[in-house]
Amino acid sequence: MKLFSSFIKELKLASRGFYFYVELFMAVIILAVFLLLVPDNFNNQRTEYIYFDMPRQTSELFLQEILQEDTDGKAAPVKVEVDKQEKDAMLYTTSDQKIYVLTSREDVIYMADKEKKIAAVVKLDSDNAINYEYYLQGYESDKFKNLLKILHVESNETIEAAMNNQDVKPLADNTLVLSDKENMMPSVLVFNGALMGLFIIAAYIFLDRKEGVIMAYAVTPSPVWQYLMSKVGVILVTTILSSFLVIIPVMGTQPDYLLLLLLLVTTAFFSSSLGLLIASFYKNVTQAFGAIYGFMLLMILPNIAYFIPSWNPDYLKLIPTYPMLEGFKSVLLGNNDWLYVLTISGGFLLVGAILFSISNRRYKKTLLG
Amino acid sequence: MISVKNLYHSYNKDGKYQVKDVSFEVANGEVFGFLGPSGAGKSTALNILTGLLPLQQGEVVVGGYDLKKVSNERFNKIGMSFEQSNVYSKLTAKENLDFYRKLFDVPTLDSHALLKLVGLEGKEHVKAGEFSKGMKHRLTFARSMINNPEMWFLDEPTTGLDPSIAADIKDIIKEKNKEGVTVFLTTHNMFIADELCDRVAFIVDGEIKLIDSPKNLKLQYGDKLVEVEYMEKGEVIKTTLSTVLPEDKRELQKIIEHHDIQTMHTKEATLEEIFIKVTGRGLV
Repeated sequence: MKLFSSFIKELKLASRGFYFYVELFMAVIILAVFLLLVPDNFNNQRTEYIYFDMPRQTSELFLQEILQEDTDGKAAPVKVEVDKQEKDAMLYTTSDQKIYVLTSREDVIYMADKEKKIAAVVKLDSDNAINYEYYLQGYESDKFKNLLKILHVESNETIEAAMNNQDVKPLADNTLVLSDKENMMPSVLVFNGALMGLFIIAAYIFLDRKEGVIMAYAVTPSPVWQYLMSKVGVILVTTILSSFLVIIPVMGTQPDYLLLLLLLVTTAFFSSSLGLLIASFYKNVTQAFGAIYGFMLLMILPNIAYFIPSWNPDYLKLIPTYPMLEGFKSVLLGNNDWLYVLTISGGFLLVGAILFSISNRRYKKTLLG
Repeated sequence: MISVKNLYHSYNKDGKYQVKDVSFEVANGEVFGFLGPSGAGKSTALNILTGLLPLQQGEVVVGGYDLKKVSNERFNKIGMSFEQSNVYSKLTAKENLDFYRKLFDVPTLDSHALLKLVGLEGKEHVKAGEFSKGMKHRLTFARSMINNPEMWFLDEPTTGLDPSIAADIKDIIKEKNKEGVTVFLTTHNMFIADELCDRVAFIVDGEIKLIDSPKNLKLQYGDKLVEVEYMEKGEVIKTTLSTVLPEDKRELQKIIEHHDIQTMHTKEATLEEIFIKVTGRGLV
């Protein structure tokens, strides 16, 4: 009953304060961005600028080949405007390329310079052999440059035949995959739930310290853990609200919502307990800012590995947000991997309980601090 | 009752004590005051008695509870009013009190009645953040009574309040004491101590220099004086004479016989004067 009263009081305080709405406002902004601006899948089409410096009959052969891959089988005359200069071009659109065929070598160089894209001039030399001139940007890798150097050693037909002879088979069938937009949701959940919870609970504690109400609570028969738990409760509510506010419209019925709720509760409990512990060492938010900022930066690191899988050192797996991201991804995929999510949730619940217990001891001793 | 024996406390645990070898007892129903200047150790001692600071060294029993054996139950018997107001500024006056009512295991006083008692009637639904300093202090004071405490700890109960509010607070303290509540207060205001306390302890640099009733202290340390204003050659002359010293007694008799007396008052030494005399220190 005392815990419930404290929780209701904390909800009232939070609803009349600033931080409660920061989290919800952030969720609304994120939702608006994802619904209105972020496409389901990012455009992987490359843009290329080419000029054929050769007789029209020869260039027609190249263009016929490109046209075979064009999605609508037609080239479209367009004007490309860059820096208030218009360039005439024919646009060929394939599944993974937008090819602009320009009308002069100068236009190719201009586009490479202004658009910062790779451009090429295809020409015939004095022996009527085909030569390729590439205009690169300078940041391309050596591997890519070497590839360009050897690309034209063999004929296109030979290369294509060699590629077709390769047998590529997936190791697992029916693998569930998130779209590009959905794939960003685990990061949103970790950031808006776990990391915001860490910061906001510390802010709540410092507000109470400033008002001195923590001392008034300390001279009542209610135990300190209930005071702390009521604050954790508010963080759980705002985390669940802000997370569901984003996930339901974006993901629809795909996620396992029961598992999502479980993982949100346990991860928010863990991060708010960590926030409580950090706050117990400091008197105000200014003093604690460095430590909180440091922890948040550390927690963000696994996000980098999440989006750049090629960088995934083992030590990252020790940072709590790593399993959080994997857990949320599993839940959002809706693959019914109960055991995996339960294991992660159990881990966060256990570590959260240990951190909460240490925080409780520290707050008992440092009420006047 | 409160029993304190050989109490020591060091904030940094470095051998520099803010409270040194403090011992005293407070009987049930007594009003006991810690009188001393700022930084004397009054609030430190008070915070140990209320459990806000851990007991490092010494023996302390409050209301039958030994502070070495931590028990939250004891707070059902204790009320604490802080020097600095500490209420939730985003909650209304009533919400503040209603919340604290639910934290106790004993019957509590009605929030409306308490607000009326401290002169905040009609302000029930105003957020504490909109209150003046005095109103916040009254709300903090009201909260300390919410569980009908047997032991009432008051840290500088009237400091910073205007005289009429301070008078109301003093009346409430007297009334509660009549009902049998034991009061432990800290103050650097000699008038409060004199008016309210059955006994006072003078505390300086963490040490108790003296404990006695204000009346006994005045008898023991105060000079018996009379202050006279009389007319002499058309001018008002003011003089202070001892009622004990023979030459002063003769002088007083002469003035009465030969002059027109304008005013005449007996004058007692104040607690502040006694404090300075005993400790060699002022109360500010």
